[in-house]
Amino acid sequence: MYIILVYDIDQKRVGKMLKLCRRYLNWIQNSVFEGELTEVKLKELLLKAKEIIDPSYDSIIIFSSRQEKWLDKQVVGLEKNNLDNMF
Amino acid sequence: MKKSYYLFNPGRISRRDNSLKFTPVDDLGTEGAPRYIPVESVDNLYTFGSLDANSALYNFLGKEQISVHFFDHYEHYTGSFMPKDFLLSGKVIIAQTEHYSNSSKRLSIASKFIEGAAFNILKNLRYYNNRDKDTSVQIDTISQMAPQISSAKSIEELMGVEGQIRLTYYQAFDLIINDFEMGTRTKQPPSNEINALISFLNMMCYTLCLDMIHHTQLNPTISFLHQPGYRRYSLALDLSEIFKPILVDRLIFSLLNKRQIQTQDFDHQLNSCLLKENGRKKVVKAWDDKLNETIKHRSLGRNVTYKHLIKLECYKLVKHILNIEEYKPFKAWW
Repeated sequence: MYIILVYDIDQKRVGKMLKLCRRYLNWIQNSVFEGELTEVKLKELLLKAKEIIDPSYDSIIIFSSRQEKWLDKQVVGLEKNNLDNMF
Repeated sequence: MKKSYYLFNPGRISRRDNSLKFTPVDDLGTEGAPRYIPVESVDNLYTFGSLDANSALYNFLGKEQISVHFFDHYEHYTGSFMPKDFLLSGKVIIAQTEHYSNSSKRLSIASKFIEGAAFNILKNLRYYNNRDKDTSVQIDTISQMAPQISSAKSIEELMGVEGQIRLTYYQAFDLIINDFEMGTRTKQPPSNEINALISFLNMMCYTLCLDMIHHTQLNPTISFLHQPGYRRYSLALDLSEIFKPILVDRLIFSLLNKRQIQTQDFDHQLNSCLLKENGRKKVVKAWDDKLNETIKHRSLGRNVTYKHLIKLECYKLVKHILNIEEYKPFKAWW
């Protein structure tokens, strides 16, 4: 499953969320991550995320598609992080 | 799907927030912008540049089941960091050893490897024969040699047949590849572009097989075709025989004939020829794409990647040594 995850989280907790997301997905912009995840891994991520957030204030939105190829991506301006697997 | 990551740039990799952070370092020692690698998406790491890391990092990688493969300046495989074996099965190891020490059982497995390799080699030759490259001489010679595989009485004889087949096969390389001359196969060091590509990709194939074996209960040091010598994982060599024609050779043909790799991608020295950094990146990229290509598996009825195909081959081998189902080598059917 290919995933785009965005979050809007209070400053007090946002650092934790960033660290958690970095383990599972690639950072592409402030509060935006994308990457390939299995369904189980996504569940795992969300379970851990729920422990961090305050559901009455914070929100996480996930866009998912079956495969990366069903997703068109355009970058205007600076690409902050490219997702190559070669360094 | 977990991915392989390839590190060409020298730099430092470290554990950061329970994930991985890679900081590239240039020639002057100044650090570049760090890149974060999501640890849950890492299958394994291939390091071609010089890499700084501490034991805390390796402890972490070990826990996360991530292996690291190392290559030296001359693109030789130097070794791997492997997480602790987690799929242990005494039963399989005993059965595997038994199949090795019983010479008739060993011979039957070994000949299957060659059978698969020869079949896939012929597939490649036929493919190009249908595309205005006259490889009929090599096809005939190899087809005539094929019956010797099953009638071989010893491993040495089998190795002899395999050597002959490969020799004939390499002669066809000059017919198939357009603008390059291969001549004879030379290793240590490879003498020209084609030899350099063969050496490099064979090694990639070998590490891939090793990695896949580690995901099964098989013991990588006990092999059937190659002599299980010291200091190397010879079962990976056995397995790679079957897959080299499909993965490595086809990739070489298309890379060169489509001019994706050209003379300037190589570093020509006195009597050796090696890939330049940039060329190596292109080859590894193509290799990685190739491994993620899928084919519809006939008996499983679903799409599997080439990479997974190797793991399936290991499972078949396990089934064979446990006497559940007879091993049939993978044969390309398309």
